[in-house]
Amino acid sequence: MRLIRANPGVGEELAETAWRRLRELQILIPTEPGSDLFFIAEPVARLLNYLFNEANPATPEIIRGYVASLEAANRQLTRALDDEDVQRVSLAFEEISQTLRRIHADLNETQNAILAEVTRYKTERARVSVRQKYRRIVHWMERYVEPMIEVVRADGPLRSAFDETERLLHRAREEALLNDHPALTRNLRFLRVVSAYALRVFTQCRKEIQPLYESLRRSSFIAEGASLALEQLQAAGLLRWGDEYLVGVASWRYQNVPSDVAIVATLRRVIEHPPESPPVLELTAEEETPDALVRLIWLESLPSLVTNNLPVQDLLGWIVETFSGRNISDVLAGFSALVFHNGFRATFTDRELRTYVIAGDEITASPVKLTST
Amino acid sequence: MSTLPHLTNIFDRLRRGYHLGPDDEPAFSVLCERFDEYAAYFAAIGITLVRHEREFFYFNAETQDTVPDTLPRIAVFSYIMVDHAANQGRAIDEFIFGHNFLVTALPHFTLDRYTALLRQVEVHDLSDLENVLNHMERIGWVKWLTDDEFRFLRPFHRVFSKCIELAQAAQKPSVGDSDSSSAISEGRVNRDS
Repeated sequence: MRLIRANPGVGEELAETAWRRLRELQILIPTEPGSDLFFIAEPVARLLNYLFNEANPATPEIIRGYVASLEAANRQLTRALDDEDVQRVSLAFEEISQTLRRIHADLNETQNAILAEVTRYKTERARVSVRQKYRRIVHWMERYVEPMIEVVRADGPLRSAFDETERLLHRAREEALLNDHPALTRNLRFLRVVSAYALRVFTQCRKEIQPLYESLRRSSFIAEGASLALEQLQAAGLLRWGDEYLVGVASWRYQNVPSDVAIVATLRRVIEHPPESPPVLELTAEEETPDALVRLIWLESLPSLVTNNLPVQDLLGWIVETFSGRNISDVLAGFSALVFHNGFRATFTDRELRTYVIAGDEITASPVKLTST
Repeated sequence: MSTLPHLTNIFDRLRRGYHLGPDDEPAFSVLCERFDEYAAYFAAIGITLVRHEREFFYFNAETQDTVPDTLPRIAVFSYIMVDHAANQGRAIDEFIFGHNFLVTALPHFTLDRYTALLRQVEVHDLSDLENVLNHMERIGWVKWLTDDEFRFLRPFHRVFSKCIELAQAAQKPSVGDSDSSSAISEGRVNRDS
């Protein structure tokens, strides 16, 4: 009763009703009349045992085990054929036959189990997260379907073992040793059936699981991405939550857009602007030397001119007297050029201030002595 | 080129961040039919028109110096929605697009963790959630059906694309993992070269 209550079906009858029906149908049988102790009826127990222990999908290891059995039987058959031992050939035929039957039965169970699993995924109402479902379906793909296709494919180990078995069976027939043995013909036929059936079963299984696998895989990725983004926000805070977690959305705004009226007015001004001749450049040489050039040449000639008169006791006086026609600007420019020239040293003297008359103007200054460095 | 139909309307909506999907006729149909022409037209003025592989259209967002407040809010809202959907045991897009949602029944304030995350982006109550949804409506991701009921529109796939991008980026170091090494195709059809 505890078991029934712990596993209620959706919309099923009460646990007491289920209990009563189990007893009426003699699925549960009391150990002795009036006893509270029950056991499961033998046929049902056998069925459950089969479902639990045998109706399971074949793993690659199981199929590889069959391949090994077949190879062992092949070796046994080879030796028996070599020895022309009829008894041992018959035994090898039987072993091959049994192995093929087991492979066929397991393939059936595998297909049923995988289809049942796929159906269960699609109809399951219990809340199982996408990530858990994805892990389970990946388990089925990785454990049963994908590796099995490697085993059963046309150039896989199962096919090789089958080819070898077929070759030996043909040899047995050709050597007329046991060409009328019923197991020989049956095995040859069964080999072809099982070989094609194995590949078909696993290809079909993959086709059944693949869409589910793809869908769950995508959902799992989506869930993982969202989870990562939220974790990062939780751990780092909004200020450090990078832009990579945001989905960019365009936002184009008009800024300082000129109106159509303004564009038209501007174009009109350009179009209606009166034509104007380009300026003409005078490219011929000038006839008179420019004043600025004459002044520059004079300034550059001063160092050589003053060198002949060194030491000069009153530099400004020397310039005013020697170049009496120069205006005050030229005189001061010449004075500066000589004072700051690298080849001369200018020294203030202790003499009294002197007034210099230059082109009608006056400058009062302390005389400066100029010597060579 | 000058005969592109609904050009003004399409440009005016896309430039505001709107995503044009099947609910936006007739703009959607003409974009489907003459996508290359529209893309070339907008490319000439420096704008990339994107056609998502789930068949909707939007302008590629330029990198912005300042991120509008709405983007983190929309992101957090959406990631919580996806996180919740992942726990429902069904394919996520089937859950998101297969339902209408009531604002009052959203999962966003059902867990303290969600509430704390939303608080970081200044979303404190249902009224704030409605504001986020209004923003999402303005960019074509959701559609209000009544005052408090809405459904997600196809352009919400951009969130899924972003999630896949983040998950794949996180798995990059684990090269050799056969499961993760095969990238899931998701996102824009006309990627930039």
